[in-house]
This record gives sequence, C-alpha cells and structure tokens, in this order.
Amino acid sequence: MQFKKRILSNGLAVVGEVNTTAKSAAVGFFVRTGSRDENHKINGVSHFFEHMLFKGTERLNAFEVNEAFDRTGAQFNAGTSEETTVYYAAVLPEYLIEVTELWTELMRPSLRDEDFNIEKKVIKEEIAMYKDLPSFDVVERCRSLHFDGHPCGNSVLGSEESIDNLTAEQMHEYFAERYAPNNMALACAGNFSWDRICSVAESRCSSWQMQTVARKLEHCDGSKKKSRIEKPNLAREHICLISPAVAATDPRRFAALLLATIIGDDVGSRFFWGLVDAALAEAAVMQFGAMDGTGAFYSYIRCSSEDVPKVLDTVNGIFGSLAKNGISESEMRTAKNKILSALVIKNELPMGRLHDLGFNWLYLEQYRSVEDDINAIKAVTVDEINSLIEQFKPGCFTQLSIGPAKTP
Amino acid sequence: MTERLDKHTLKNGMVLLGEPMETVGSAAFGFMLPAGAALLPEGCCGAGNVITDWLFRGAADKDSRQLSDALDGLGLHRSSSVGSSHIIVAAALEAGNLPQALELYADIILRASLRDEQFELAKQLAIDEVLGLDDDPRQKVMLKLKEQFYPSPLGRSAVGEVSELKALTAEKTRQIIKNNFNLSETIFAVAGKYDFEKLCRQMEKLFGTARQKPLEPVKPGAKSDNYTHINADGAQVHIGLATRTVTPADDGYYNARIAVSVLSGGMSARLFTEIREKRGLCYAIGAQYHSLKEAAGIMCYAGTMPETAQETLDVIMAEFARLGDGISKEEIERAKVGLKSALILQSESSSSRAGAIGSDHYILGRVRSLDEIKEKIEATSVESVMEFLRNNGFGDFTVVTIGPKQVKVE
Repeated sequence: MQFKKRILSNGLAVVGEVNTTAKSAAVGFFVRTGSRDENHKINGVSHFFEHMLFKGTERLNAFEVNEAFDRTGAQFNAGTSEETTVYYAAVLPEYLIEVTELWTELMRPSLRDEDFNIEKKVIKEEIAMYKDLPSFDVVERCRSLHFDGHPCGNSVLGSEESIDNLTAEQMHEYFAERYAPNNMALACAGNFSWDRICSVAESRCSSWQMQTVARKLEHCDGSKKKSRIEKPNLAREHICLISPAVAATDPRRFAALLLATIIGDDVGSRFFWGLVDAALAEAAVMQFGAMDGTGAFYSYIRCSSEDVPKVLDTVNGIFGSLAKNGISESEMRTAKNKILSALVIKNELPMGRLHDLGFNWLYLEQYRSVEDDINAIKAVTVDEINSLIEQFKPGCFTQLSIGPAKTP
Repeated sequence: MTERLDKHTLKNGMVLLGEPMETVGSAAFGFMLPAGAALLPEGCCGAGNVITDWLFRGAADKDSRQLSDALDGLGLHRSSSVGSSHIIVAAALEAGNLPQALELYADIILRASLRDEQFELAKQLAIDEVLGLDDDPRQKVMLKLKEQFYPSPLGRSAVGEVSELKALTAEKTRQIIKNNFNLSETIFAVAGKYDFEKLCRQMEKLFGTARQKPLEPVKPGAKSDNYTHINADGAQVHIGLATRTVTPADDGYYNARIAVSVLSGGMSARLFTEIREKRGLCYAIGAQYHSLKEAAGIMCYAGTMPETAQETLDVIMAEFARLGDGISKEEIERAKVGLKSALILQSESSSSRAGAIGSDHYILGRVRSLDEIKEKIEATSVESVMEFLRNNGFGDFTVVTIGPKQVKVE
C-alpha cells in the first residue's frame, strides 16, 4: 500500500492509496456539506442537489450521463448525510480514468429547470418511501428532538413543503458556496496509476474557484427530551435513544466505538443479552456516530407495545450497571476482536478502503493506514472506556418512540 | 483470471468446495444445509427462522453465553439465512482462526443443545419478526411476491406465518433438524485464505458421520393467483411484479441475464429511464434476476404514491413488452460490461465467492469459472437475445401490491 497526496493550488485535496494487487479501483468525491449547512428555508437542498448532479452538464444531458456511467460498468452511487455528501464508483482498473473524468465533469452541473421539476417528484417519492419505514423515520425524528435547534438535527431529506418551496436559484447559490474545491477531496483506492489521476485532477479541476467556506462547530449535549408519536397503521413499537458522544476528531473515538459495540452490537452485547436473547425485543442495537465538533450514540430498539415498560426497565438497568461498575476486561477484548476483524474484511475491497480514506481526509486532513486504526483500537484501555461512560452518561438520553395507538 | 477450485467429498457424501484468494487475509465459509422453507413439512412455515436462532443458544459443553463468547472471541461475523432450498449458516473471519471456528460450527450443527426453554425464546423472536414485517412493506411485498409467483411450496416464506409458528413445538422442530440436517446432502463452501488439505482432514474428523438416506425431493404444485392486494394505510403503494424466465442450467441463461440488464442493469437501463428519469414516478424502481434450482423469475419492485400506482405498473408492463420490439447494440454492450464488471468486483470479496461457488454446485452440479462466465456473457449478441425473447417472451405476470390503493392488472 502506498499513500499519495497532492493539494491543488485552489485547495482541492487529491489523496490516493495504491494497491497493485487489487482487481478493481474505486474513486470518489467527498464534499464537506450536508443538511447541517442548510437553514430551514432551503432544508433538503444538499440531498436534492446530490440528485441533480446526475442530471448533467452543458455537454451532457441526464440520459447521456447514465449511459456514460454504464459504459464503464461502474458500480456507483452517492449519499448525503447531515455533514457530508459523497459520490463514488468502483470499476475495473481500465475504466478508472474514464469514470474519474466523468465525475470531475459532473461536479460542475448545469442544474436545468426541467430536470429540477421532474426530480422534485422523485425526491417527494423518496420522502414518502421513508415515511413507510418507521425504523428509519424514528431515528430521523429523534435526531431532530435530540439536537433541538443545533444544525445537526436538520433533516437530510427535508419535508414535502421545503422541497416544494425550493427554487433552482437557491440551489445555485448553495452550490456556489458549498462545492468549492477547498471544501472537498478527490480520493482513489485500489489498483490505479497515481500520476494519471493527478493529471486528470490538474487538467479538469484547477479552474474551480476557491471560496471562503464556513461551518459553525459546537458540541451538543442533547435535549434529553422524551416523546412518543402514535401511528395507527403500525404493528410494532420503534424506539430511538440518543445521547452525546465525542467528535470525529477526538482521539477517544476508538474508545467510543468499542463502547457502542459492548452495549449494542447485534450479537453478544449487553443489549443483545438483556433484550434480544430474552425475546423482549427483536432488534436492539447501538451505534457510535462521530460528527464534526460533536458526536452521538444512537440506539434503535423494536418490540411490541406491551413490552415497552419492561424493555425500558431493562435498558435503564443496563445503563445503571455500566455507570456503577463500568465494563469488564473480557467484554473489551471481545469487542476489539469483532471490530478488528470487521475492519480487515471491509478493507479488503477498494470500495471499503475508499470510504475510510476519503472520510479521514475530510475530518482529520490525515492519512491513516488500516494498521494505524488497528493499533489505535488495540491500545484502548478499560479505564478510557469507563471514563467516557462517566463523562457522557449514555443512560441520560433523548428518547422518541413511534408505535401503534395504545388500547385504552 | 486463474482462480482454482478445490473440491473434496467426505465419506458420507458431504461436498467441500474451496476457492483460494491470494490477496486477502480473511476466510469466509458457509454450510448449506438442506432444510430450506420448501423442504419443511406442511404447517411449519417459519421453522427455519426458529432453527437458525435456536442452534446458537448453546452447543456441546457450552451454554448460550459461552458459545457466543467463543464465536465473538474469534472475531467471527456470523450470518444465517433461510432460503427455499437451504438453511445457510455462514461466517467471515481472519483466516488464522478458521480451524477453531470450524470446531465450534461442528458443535452447533451436530450437537446443538436445543433446550426447551431456549426454544420458546427463539420462537417468540420468529413470531415478532413476522409481525415486524407489517412495518416494512417493501420487504413484505417481495416476500409475498415470491410466495405467489413460485409453484407452491418453492416460494414459501422463510419468515413464516404467525399461526403456524404459534403451533410449532420444540419436539417437532428437533425432528426437522434431525431429518433435514442431512450431511450427505450438505455443501460446505470456503473462499479466501485456507489450507485445503488440512481443512479436508479436519472436516472428515468433525463431520465424518455415517451416510444418511436421501431426502424426498420437493414436488411443486400449483401457482397462486396472479394479483394479490394487501390493504395498508401507508404513504406509498409498494408494487412487486414477477415473470417467469430460465434457470442457470438453461442454454438461454446468459441471454436472459442480458435482457434483465437492458431492463434494469444500470441507471441508463429502460425501467430507470422511463419511470424515474422521464416521468418522476418513483424513487425506488428496479428488476432483478432470481433463481431457484427448479424455477427462475424476474422480480421487479416499485414504490410510488397512490395516485401514480396505476401509471407506474402500466409503464413497467409496457417496458417488459417493448423488449421484444428490439434492443440496440449499445444497450447490449452496456449490459455486458455491467455484468462482467459486477462479476469481477464481487470476486474480491471472500464472502461473495463462498456463496457463489456453493450455489453453483447446488444449482448446476458444478462450479463455473469466472472465465467461463465472462466468455458466455461475451458471446451474447443483439441477435441471440432477440432470438431468446422470441422463444421465451415475458408475460403472465404475478403482481402483489401493499398500500392504500389497488391497481388493475391487465
């Protein structure tokens, strides 16, 4: 593995990890922008823009863009979160330059009105689809309850209303500010020629104008509010719990990852033994979400409405015992084994590697090899995890549930 | 590509398959046990899900917790699935821990404790999963579609029926495990980093039981109604649509795969273009090839708001019909590149390869090399695909909808 880096004069970071034994290569643009960078007037624009990027440029219409991707056999997609928007593709090595050139071209889209209006319908269908998925809906709504005014609580999809009101002009303004070269990275992993990628970046991205791009960073302890929404058509109770955690730049993020695994991995965790093994809940998981300037532990639990009191008692018991006694050495060892092997397996694929490479650059402006992460995880101690429990009190959480109407 | 296939048959008939991968440090394996949903006795729909949970609740001298700790201690990522023909218990881990993992899996498959009190918990979770499907209409519609589309019992839902699960007993379920965990008809597949000679010796020691009598083959019966609607108060109508096509054993298989790709292989494919790009009817729209050993189909999903449900279904059906009118050379070329590249990208993952070689062996009785698949994709042409469609045109659709509004199926 060889790490490569070049920063263009307009601030665009080009980073690569070359692995000549891989059968494929992956490339992506990682942009430091998401729903937290929106205000309520333009809520949903980051995600909507991500769709519009595929609609073409002065030279290519939407159909030609789709054909151009499919001619390379690329497996490609894009995703928008609260704070990043990522565009990526995995291809056979011989198509990497072609697909990279295509992405660089699309990064300066023409945002035509007729495409904008058709895509509005698609976005509203996507919003409707997630309304029918309460396991997703509950997390989205709980995030907004937890962050309570902090921009990390902004919805990624936006609402039907905000999408209806959004204008093409607002999208142009958003694009000009957020898609500045100094606010993004071009990353590449797998079997590829670094020199050729650099010359594509130099020739096609150097004319992009650097901008002053800001993001307000503030830690959020969360509202700790509790709420329930009734939806008569639901069969199960969907519960989301959110509590604060460390930020993506914090060295304690590895300890936080271990803590979430100990509490809420899908098998062998405290949630698993207390809730799933006992058949009180059919799903009970916790994840650590590291963000810019803040972080959160997210739990999702699904059970029958009648069992909610027992489930919450058990959850409180789990957090109570963690606060009192902390975690054990053997729990930590098991969690380390699970995380380390997942890390190794994921990074065997160029696509898996690409995401770590890109996000590490976006958040840390740093290259980290797989070994760096392995060593950091191995070095975490029980005391470090226990002091996280003490400081962040995962038992004090924001809680939202969505479930069927209660029988009187 | 010069991948090698390792193959060995244990004395009792259990087949071991392996594909070494030089550049990885992981190993992935799966046991294909002939206990799939279609092979269950009548009235036990969903037993597979109970079994995959119950098996891990203690084995040999270990209780549930000790077993789980032992698996987690190896950093092993487990997955189990219940299909039409098999229960697959699979895992991926760092290659160095493979021998210890196999010892634990021998305990789980041959010496699971199967205690009564643990059965009740496994059963409760299986029932909860069925109930939870109501809150996931997208998954539910595709399960229901397979059930309606394949001749019974081939498409039987692996998730099951609440009434049948409630009636299921520990005794009955133990009997299913005893009958259907038939090692003489079990396939074991591994891919990644391993030593095949050592593995064969270890597997003979761990799984070298006496030869078992062959299982009764499934006798497919009639197919269900062509249209089923499940009323549900949601934001969208979830549409599932299926039509018959050839299995991988058929000479026309690669032409069928190309035709499905022309319809829904990438973003330039016809369904995405017509339904999403031109009309904005759906966010999620796509069709996939799906095959059992006995039958195969093209499974299509679309989610759309009630007022556009009929139009969406009509356009999907029209696109199936339009394939027969002609396909351009460019469409065929894009479909070929897409299929070949997906094949190679998947071949970098040890889990995908272990799954693929096991499934090939079961469906075809042999494992195809990546080169063979590439060559056969390459050999297709506009003419061969059109010829295939003339003889195997898509029609006789099975449709399932879930949502606040029914559609008319012509």
